[in-house]
Amino acid sequence: MSKVVGIDLGTTNSLVAYIKDGVPIVIRDQNGDGLVPSVVSVSQDNTIHVGREAQRRLLTDAARTAYSVKRFMGKGREDVRHEAEHFPFRVAGDSGEVVRIGLGDREFTPPEISAFILRELKHRAEAHFAELGEVDNEVDRAVITVPAYFNDAQRTATRDAGRIAGLEVLRIINEPTAASLAYGLDKKHSGVIAVYDLGGGTFDISILRVEDGVFQVLSTNGDTHLGGDDIDVLLMDRVMGGQADRTPEAVQELRQAVIQSKLDLSERDETTINGQRITRAEFEALIAPIVERTIGPCRQALADAGLEPSQIDEVVLVGGSTRIPLVRRKVEELFGRRPHSELNPDEVVALGAAVQADILVTGNREMLLLDVTPLSLGIETMGGVVSKIILRNSTIPATGSEMFTTAVDNQTAVDIHVLQGERELVADNRSLYRFKLRGIPPMPAGLPRVQVQFQIDASGILSVTARELRTEIEQTIEVKPSYGLTDEEVERMLLESFEHAEADFAARQLIEARNEAESVIQATEKSLRSPEFASIETTEISADERKKIESVLAGLKMVLKSTDRETIQKWTHALNDATQHLAEVMMNRSVSAALAGKNVDDV
Amino acid sequence: MADFEQRYRALSRQFHPDYFYNAAPAERRASLEKSSYLNDAYRTLRNPISRVDYLLKLEGLAPQGPEQASKQVPAGLLEEVFALNEELDEVREQRSSGAPAEIWKGRLERARQPIEAKRAEHEAQLRELSARWDATGDRKVLEALRDRIIERNYIINLLAGIERELAASLS
Repeated sequence: MSKVVGIDLGTTNSLVAYIKDGVPIVIRDQNGDGLVPSVVSVSQDNTIHVGREAQRRLLTDAARTAYSVKRFMGKGREDVRHEAEHFPFRVAGDSGEVVRIGLGDREFTPPEISAFILRELKHRAEAHFAELGEVDNEVDRAVITVPAYFNDAQRTATRDAGRIAGLEVLRIINEPTAASLAYGLDKKHSGVIAVYDLGGGTFDISILRVEDGVFQVLSTNGDTHLGGDDIDVLLMDRVMGGQADRTPEAVQELRQAVIQSKLDLSERDETTINGQRITRAEFEALIAPIVERTIGPCRQALADAGLEPSQIDEVVLVGGSTRIPLVRRKVEELFGRRPHSELNPDEVVALGAAVQADILVTGNREMLLLDVTPLSLGIETMGGVVSKIILRNSTIPATGSEMFTTAVDNQTAVDIHVLQGERELVADNRSLYRFKLRGIPPMPAGLPRVQVQFQIDASGILSVTARELRTEIEQTIEVKPSYGLTDEEVERMLLESFEHAEADFAARQLIEARNEAESVIQATEKSLRSPEFASIETTEISADERKKIESVLAGLKMVLKSTDRETIQKWTHALNDATQHLAEVMMNRSVSAALAGKNVDDV
Repeated sequence: MADFEQRYRALSRQFHPDYFYNAAPAERRASLEKSSYLNDAYRTLRNPISRVDYLLKLEGLAPQGPEQASKQVPAGLLEEVFALNEELDEVREQRSSGAPAEIWKGRLERARQPIEAKRAEHEAQLRELSARWDATGDRKVLEALRDRIIERNYIINLLAGIERELAASLS
């Protein structure tokens, strides 16, 4: 049976985990490293590098290296205009279209970049299962986590990334909820938990009630644009003044120094960045506004759950940024209790994803996750106002419906605009879908009754169906996401990724063939130039033989630069054959010379 | 209430799509539909206001759309409605004559307070009446509930009106 895994696709790092003998474990590389940096780089010869190698390339080839791409998931070109300048890579795409990331002469959508990371995790897991001697080590299904506050477009983009990577995404689950599953394993307790998740790029707060093994999310809130990245930017701004070299590579080197300084300041009272001293007090003053921005969503989540901070039984910390002492103090202040941090905050989400994946494939009913939709779903009505159909914090799966009719006689189509968000006006919410409801039977105005049904599934992803109630005509609606990929685009990307995988493989084979040819050429030329050759040339090597060697050598040199691997290999073999006799003679000479205890030159 | 929550959890365990991943497509669809229905029901019944709305619909007492609602605005609210509309008109005038945002934002905030208080008062009444209906099943109580709901809808509309002005002031 093929394998199923849980994946934490993070802004900064990604991990893969699975259940082994009932316990979730993170899959690590030979060095014991569980983290795959969420970095993808395309080198000059179009080879794709992922993870640590790509991260190293940030220091040598920053313009061809993409990081923090999670921030671009499900976004349009306009959404990222302000942010784009912070990144060394090219941010492109047409207005009103999905944002594109340019690396070298290739352009990728964010789901494609994420797919490279997912494929790396998939390979890591497959190698791990192969090592364990599993019969079927293919990994083709996964549960992938997203920030709880991700909207429909961002969730859909994540699911698309999975499909492009050749993974069936069984379920998208929310990161804080996944973390609570991991914590819930060894404790059969009940109570109300707050999960505070401050990661590289996103912040989430979820309030859950745990009872009889049911993890019921009461409310969730957050900010999909708040995390360690923002702290890095502040620190960068502070130390950039003393930096003369502003090349992308130098900036990246500084960025890595900044990241190291954050780690240092969680352990010590002061450190240096690029020779500049910074104390923990200065650091805390600098980042206080960022930490403060997490408090509002916490209060809102508490209010939505109808709870006071004192009613929270336990607080769990998730995400690398919760290692910062100031963050811990603020959380403790708000909830009035010391937060849990027994599990590694970088790994706990992936562990929870593995638990959920196991529940799905085994049908084990001991635990059940009941999550909510983070944002209200509505449609545009008269005057650019949003009419809400499914309210935020509704447990999913959830449905909602709305009745539409026509404004003029014999009207056969109605425009529908679906939005997500809490604000009154259309312009202040996230546009999810715009579509035309067609096929309404011609009738006097106001007579048709078209019921549009919205379904949010257990992954928090929306689907829409419509029915004309007077004629019972069912309509399957062609829904084109405002900032997403169509099914056809995802299919094409999946195929392309295979083709590129093949192209990458072919490129590697060609390089290997050239390397081999070059080493044979070098060896041959060295022999022909050697003093030994001069001494045997007249006695043991015929003129024809020498001519043959020289012509094949010239031939191989000519085809060496071609891209035809087979021709290169054919000529390499020919040269090997042509020089075989020469090699034997030379070998014998040196052996006998060695036996005679004499230097070859003396013979 | 504890019983309500417990039954909800038990039914969730029965229908949730998590447990039908390996099932036939028809069963998977049924699980999605049933658990959606369960969640929608849970949400409706847990919130006191939506629960009353649903009760009124069940008993054939649901308010008949906005026309009836506007006809039935009680005198006590009418006064507040007129006062607020006047205030909103003045705010719009101030804004179009270029007054600084803080001034009319402050007016809007002040206008909101008494209406918020009214809403809280109404919600207390609704809770009290709901408890009485649950205990007695007296239809008169249900009719009183309906009147409170209509008033409440009106109050919510007033608050939304202020909200819209505030939103417009931001843009």
